[in-house]
Amino acid sequence: MRSNRLLPLLAAGALVLGACGGGGESVDTGAGGGGSGGGGNTLVAAVSAQPDQFDPHVTTAYPSFQVLENVYDTLVVPNAEDLTMEPSLAESWETSEDQLTWTFALRDGVTFHDGSTFDSADVVYSYRRIIDEQLSNSTRFQNVAAVEAPDPQTVVIRLSQPTPNLLERIGAFKGMAILPENAAEDLDLTTEANGTGPFRLESSDASGTVLSAYEDHWGGAPSVEGVEFRYITEPAAALTALQNGEVQWTDNVPPQQIESLQGDDIVELQTTPSVDYWYLSMNYARAPFDNRDVRRAISYAVDREAVAEAARFGAAQPNQTAIPEDSFFYFDYAPFQPDPDQARQLLQQAGVQTPLTMGLMVTDQFPETVTAAQVIASQLEPIGITVEIETLDLATWLDRQGAGDFDAFMLGWLGNLDPAAYYQEQHQTDGPNNYQGYSNPQVDQLLQAGATETDQDARKQIYDQAAQIIVDDVSYLYLYNPDVVQAWAPGLAGYQIRADKAINFESVELP
Amino acid sequence: MTGAPLPEPAVSPTATEAGVSSTARPPRPRWRQTLGLLARNPTAAVAATVLLLIVLVAVFDEAIAPTGPNEIAVQDRLQPPSLAHPFGTDDLGRDILSRVVLGAAVSLRVGFLAVAFALVVGALIGLLAGYYGRWVDDVLMRLMDILFAFPAVLLAIAVLAVRGPGAGNTALAIGIVYIPVFARVTRASVLGVREEVYVRASRSVGASDLRLLTRHVLPNAAPPIIVQTSISLAFAVLAEAALSFLGLGTQPPNPSWGLMLAEGRGFIDLAWWLAFFPGMAIFLTVLCFNLLGDGLRDVLDPRQRTLMAGSGR
Repeated sequence: MRSNRLLPLLAAGALVLGACGGGGESVDTGAGGGGSGGGGNTLVAAVSAQPDQFDPHVTTAYPSFQVLENVYDTLVVPNAEDLTMEPSLAESWETSEDQLTWTFALRDGVTFHDGSTFDSADVVYSYRRIIDEQLSNSTRFQNVAAVEAPDPQTVVIRLSQPTPNLLERIGAFKGMAILPENAAEDLDLTTEANGTGPFRLESSDASGTVLSAYEDHWGGAPSVEGVEFRYITEPAAALTALQNGEVQWTDNVPPQQIESLQGDDIVELQTTPSVDYWYLSMNYARAPFDNRDVRRAISYAVDREAVAEAARFGAAQPNQTAIPEDSFFYFDYAPFQPDPDQARQLLQQAGVQTPLTMGLMVTDQFPETVTAAQVIASQLEPIGITVEIETLDLATWLDRQGAGDFDAFMLGWLGNLDPAAYYQEQHQTDGPNNYQGYSNPQVDQLLQAGATETDQDARKQIYDQAAQIIVDDVSYLYLYNPDVVQAWAPGLAGYQIRADKAINFESVELP
Repeated sequence: MTGAPLPEPAVSPTATEAGVSSTARPPRPRWRQTLGLLARNPTAAVAATVLLLIVLVAVFDEAIAPTGPNEIAVQDRLQPPSLAHPFGTDDLGRDILSRVVLGAAVSLRVGFLAVAFALVVGALIGLLAGYYGRWVDDVLMRLMDILFAFPAVLLAIAVLAVRGPGAGNTALAIGIVYIPVFARVTRASVLGVREEVYVRASRSVGASDLRLLTRHVLPNAAPPIIVQTSISLAFAVLAEAALSFLGLGTQPPNPSWGLMLAEGRGFIDLAWWLAFFPGMAIFLTVLCFNLLGDGLRDVLDPRQRTLMAGSGR
């Protein structure tokens, strides 16, 4: 009967192989050591995932922007301290009386990595590419009527209505990067790059991405010879690599490690509040979540402190609105104190039969959503709501979100700077990211007004009002703003941890 | 052809049902004799005892577990094993012992359901293919070959992708994966039994196909299937763990060993007990099913059986 043993063994072999293939879906290069980045003056950075592509105008993936941040420039750039906009490729700018014409004076002596000179035609080309091809960032130009280049050192942007946040729209991140004219025709931008940034893109494969210093950078040559991004999916492996000197920098530090690393003198760990927020949203097209009382009941049942503590080990600020405390636009509004009795009463008022089942989509791509969902499930149970957690891969998650096939979901928005970015696309009627199906004419009106109000204080007031209604209606159930957590080798100088999680190695110096 | 050599033909007609056999029988029914032999194999006996304990734990899960498996107490998180929490607590402060106990119910239920499904469907297919031969055999076994051509976990993932994650679908997915294994084993066994003298004799006196299949062919083709069942249970538990580890099986917050392993992975350097205890549970269960399967094979193999029975006296 030997044959009978053979069959299960074969099956077992397949099982083990399959499990391995599935388990390490991102490429993990345990093979470390010297590093392929070249000489001893190369910074090796461990990041958790591989960029999907290098076309800054097309990609929406954070791993891509980690690299592109160092390769491309924008006209203006957020200041590392308070994220206000400061000059980059544009040295200065003026706004006309009617707020409809912005004139940018470009920096002199800027060259692309291939040696060609940067001028206004490149700006017009880059912006027209985003607008004409309706790339993912084209909504950032929705008020832009024309982009003109009267002379090589001047760019004029004409607007259809006042746009107080134009600088944020064109400079918040490298998705608005300036490419050389005809770059899309001359290069395969998904794998090649020709920017004005401090580093050139040398090569990229399944194990890492290699950048080399661009000596003729307008801001001066970087102090390191190059940067190698190495993909290490497992946080424990990234940390080990940092501790034994294989890498000098990583952002793949899970929050549970913060405490144990703070006393560690072989790792320098820093945290700072980020501009990101995590939230839960319910489907307005599905009863009973279309009922405001039901959503409010759930909002009363959720204890955000406990969620933040569990999911982030305290490395987060619980928040009932989107904008974090450090921002000028922070709105101190917290109407929902955890109150199960109030929640039960609201459910009763809504005439909802309990136990009520609510599916909650989360994704293992962001493990904190899985953790947070379990805490939320335990908090909703006492008020008679059974949460069925559905852990999906991100692609499926996004498909179902797009198709409206959900009761509720949890995720975060990353890297927002302006209040319009925080609220407009998510809560405006039929907004491109309004997957929950929220519609409130009053909010629409306020968001419209906020987008064109040029007085900062008046603008803040408008967004405060909008946020109040959004929170009261529970279009989003805001949970918390996470902290950025990064670690590097002690003695690494010139690197600054930023709230917008932009990773810039221009002035970094190795120990 | 499947390429599997024919199993050893049974040495004597040994129907299990009382009153069927016409030859002289040993005084004890065969299954009791089998158990007796098994008990004399120390490894198999220990494995069977441990398995029995695990099954009991799974059956009386909620009565045994010290706390509810999903009771979150963030302030108590990542506690090392202690008297209050013998297996420690996880990142949400849940008692790991309770979760391992409740996980036994989840893991074994999925394992048993999956193997039961594969056994019933697979054995039926193998029986028909082996007994009728010709085109029935060709059609059924080529279908099985197609199923078998897929890597096991890939096929299970595909089934789950279509039907969505969850414990029930996981059992179904694993069951489908193991149908061809049972079909092949059964068919190979039936091919041998079909030509036995007692089957031909029975047919010659006019017994119907149904009677032949249920009274003579199946009982005598059963031993390899029983062995296969035990070994498949091991792999089903393992497959459930693998699928849950990948996030496709049991959904949080419900505990399953594979899922607990996945959750514990991020804490392995801070709190080893998160992954260690569910890992041990998987290891023990799979090992015991395998050892039991080995023991059963020895006991049910007629040649080995004679040897063992002889040496025992």
